[in-house]
Amino acid sequence: MPHLNRLAIPLLAVALCAALSAADAEAEYQAALQALQSKNYSSALDHFEAALKVAPDSLKYGSEYRMAVIQAESYDRAIGFLEELAEKHPRAAHLHLNLGFAHVDKIPAAGSITQVLLANAALDHFTRSLEVSPTWIGLYTRGNSYLFWPKIFNRTPLGIADLEKALQMQRKQSPRPHHARVYVALGDGHYKLDDLKKAKEIWAKGSELFPNSRALQKRVGSNGDELEELIGQGYNPNLRVDTDLKELWSNQ
Amino acid sequence: MKTWICLLLAATAAGPHLGAEGTGTGAALRFEEVGAQAGLRHIHSTRRFAGKHADVLRMFTSGGAAAAVGDFDNDGLEDVFVTNSDNGMPNKLFRNLGGFRFSDVTAKAGVAGGNDPNSIVADALWFDYDNDGWQDLLVVRFGTPLLYHNDQDGTFRDVSSASGLDRFANTIAVIAFDYDRDGLLDLLLGHYFKDVNLLDLKQRQVLPDNLDNAHNGGGVGLWRNLGGGRFEEATQKAGLAEHSGWTLDAGHGDFDNDGHPDIYLACDYGTDRVFFNKGDGTFRDATTEALGGFDTKKGMNAEVADYNNDGFLDVYVTNITDEYMKECNMLWFNNGDGTFTDLSKETGTCDTLWGWGAKFADFDNDGWQDLYAVNGLRSAGEKNYIPVLFEMIITPDIDFSDVANWPDIGQMTWSGYQKSKLFRNLSGEIFRESSAQAGVDNDLDGRGVALADFDRDGRIDIYQTNADQPALLYRNTTTECGNWLALRLVGDPRSAWKGMRSSRDAVGARLSLSVQGQTLVREVQGGNGYSGQSSKIVHFGLGAAQKVDSLQIRWPSGRVEAVEVPLNSFSTILEGKGLVRKMPAETSDGRD
Repeated sequence: MPHLNRLAIPLLAVALCAALSAADAEAEYQAALQALQSKNYSSALDHFEAALKVAPDSLKYGSEYRMAVIQAESYDRAIGFLEELAEKHPRAAHLHLNLGFAHVDKIPAAGSITQVLLANAALDHFTRSLEVSPTWIGLYTRGNSYLFWPKIFNRTPLGIADLEKALQMQRKQSPRPHHARVYVALGDGHYKLDDLKKAKEIWAKGSELFPNSRALQKRVGSNGDELEELIGQGYNPNLRVDTDLKELWSNQ
Repeated sequence: MKTWICLLLAATAAGPHLGAEGTGTGAALRFEEVGAQAGLRHIHSTRRFAGKHADVLRMFTSGGAAAAVGDFDNDGLEDVFVTNSDNGMPNKLFRNLGGFRFSDVTAKAGVAGGNDPNSIVADALWFDYDNDGWQDLLVVRFGTPLLYHNDQDGTFRDVSSASGLDRFANTIAVIAFDYDRDGLLDLLLGHYFKDVNLLDLKQRQVLPDNLDNAHNGGGVGLWRNLGGGRFEEATQKAGLAEHSGWTLDAGHGDFDNDGHPDIYLACDYGTDRVFFNKGDGTFRDATTEALGGFDTKKGMNAEVADYNNDGFLDVYVTNITDEYMKECNMLWFNNGDGTFTDLSKETGTCDTLWGWGAKFADFDNDGWQDLYAVNGLRSAGEKNYIPVLFEMIITPDIDFSDVANWPDIGQMTWSGYQKSKLFRNLSGEIFRESSAQAGVDNDLDGRGVALADFDRDGRIDIYQTNADQPALLYRNTTTECGNWLALRLVGDPRSAWKGMRSSRDAVGARLSLSVQGQTLVREVQGGNGYSGQSSKIVHFGLGAAQKVDSLQIRWPSGRVEAVEVPLNSFSTILEGKGLVRKMPAETSDGRD
């Protein structure tokens, strides 16, 4: 019994600390949202960073932080902060994911060569995330990122491979609206490899499963130049990619 | 015969309507490539370097295929000087014999030189620096410039050493303009690399230090014409010395309509700049407020024209838009308040691939200035350089400025086999790409565009230079075209107007032509546009209009004169004297 007591007290302390930390992180997150409402970006970013220091692997905090960073146009601050955090928490898969997205978020604001460097760095971070934990969001994200690369770099097949794995993974789960994205991207990948038939099959299959997906509807219903334009716009590096991950926790 | 058709249609076009699509015929632009039979098939050679960085340095200096149009013998026909760049390779001077026939007069003229073991010819310019009424020639180099005085007998004399133009620089562009309006044409030189001798490399860090925002380029050099054949550098004094970008082109124009010529600098690796002339011999860097900040694009060309006939000069800059890079060109619409808005996407002029020279001209005389743009970096073997280059670019902490870090290109292609673009201006709001229909969709590695009405038939022709490839001469054979005017302006440098004077070339003179409720504005240019100097003769297309309501000239001196000139002819206007000579268009194309 004394032995048990000796063990229980530290365990209790650890649990209590964790609970307190989670509460602290949530408090910082709420404070960040409040600051954001009053467009006090500097304060909002401070609070988001405080929350992430406590909960570095929080996909939600990281995503919301990046959305605030985009509004504040403080891309380098976010990259620097998340890089430092990732060095301290190398096993935090979602942190690597958000770090990759932080690079993606800066792309539309960068020059053409810097865009290449950012896109490549983002891929590295997505890969780190998958090495730690091969999640659906990690596979979808990296797979989709490969599709942005011009054909000359021959990265589309790598994207298709990731997206196929994401598809297998989501088939084992109950369907969620964001799963439609994999069908969109996978079809786009085959389209980019000039396999229109396969692309159309995948979009059609996705559309059956997710009839409310406008992206799939458009692809199924478009042909020729219209489809080319649709796909081209979707992968234009000068247009901002929506990297808000809210969909993951708001569409359960 | 085609000339007759054009003139006949111009003369009989039903009703005056300089509206949408000008003549209202919707006729196609047409060109015929006649370089070989015209005797103007010059083949440019880029400089080949020695040593272990030879391949990379050749690639970085492959921009020097240039042409300058000017009437050096005052016979009324526009002649062509065209550059070469390899060691010992001659530049060429072609005399226009009329009827689309040219004769190589380089040897007699004595202007072949310039490519020696320490210098690479990169651009050229005709200008009358001493106001003697004869076009002199400036050849700029990666080296020191060469100034040739026109001795008025078909020969030229090298007066470089006496001119004071003695500073070594890696000059890729030059324009002549009279920034201080003293009646003497000054020179603005655009320098690409900083002032290191690439042919005797002592340091490896000579390439851009940042590929989107480089500040280790050569900047510009402003040389004030003192008269008596002497120039002095005024870069610092004029407020242009802070610019340290990789200048590829310079364009002048009175952007704010205050009578003083302003400057746009197109720069590689970011940092285009616009400078407003303060009227006191200095310039104000207005980049931030005028352009909304510094860009990160690969600016190649600075062409100035009022493309939408609103009375304000706009600027067209080519950049790189390709499979792997989506920069988009910039068509800087002049808002008239000292600011510009990029409307390249809205007007359909965004994408000319790897752009180089581009020029506005009214090719069908419908009253709207069309746009011809050449492109392509290097057309070679099947293997593409981009993936190889990519590996270098993503190397962590790589020093881009170190020439040793850049992979050799060998026989690889880099943005090659790209087709030139011809944009037809549809009433100033949108352009329609028409290169294939017009017959100008060549896939050579274009560099410069020089425009002139070589056969004096009232239609603007095109001369295109290409790197390591033959130049092209496109004869304008558009059959359904509108009325037109061509004006040669001669300033009077001896006569001051409120303390200001015009140079004899009248560069900077502004012409405002009212027709059918619109005002068309042109300025006499001193070499705007990358690697191509167009004719200084000002051309107006008039559509179906049978008369001009008014034509006003604001001379560089500030004197304003109204003149009346006949349609469909070449007129010469002397400052203070009005129309002194008119010549009808040539009525034979030399073949009929």
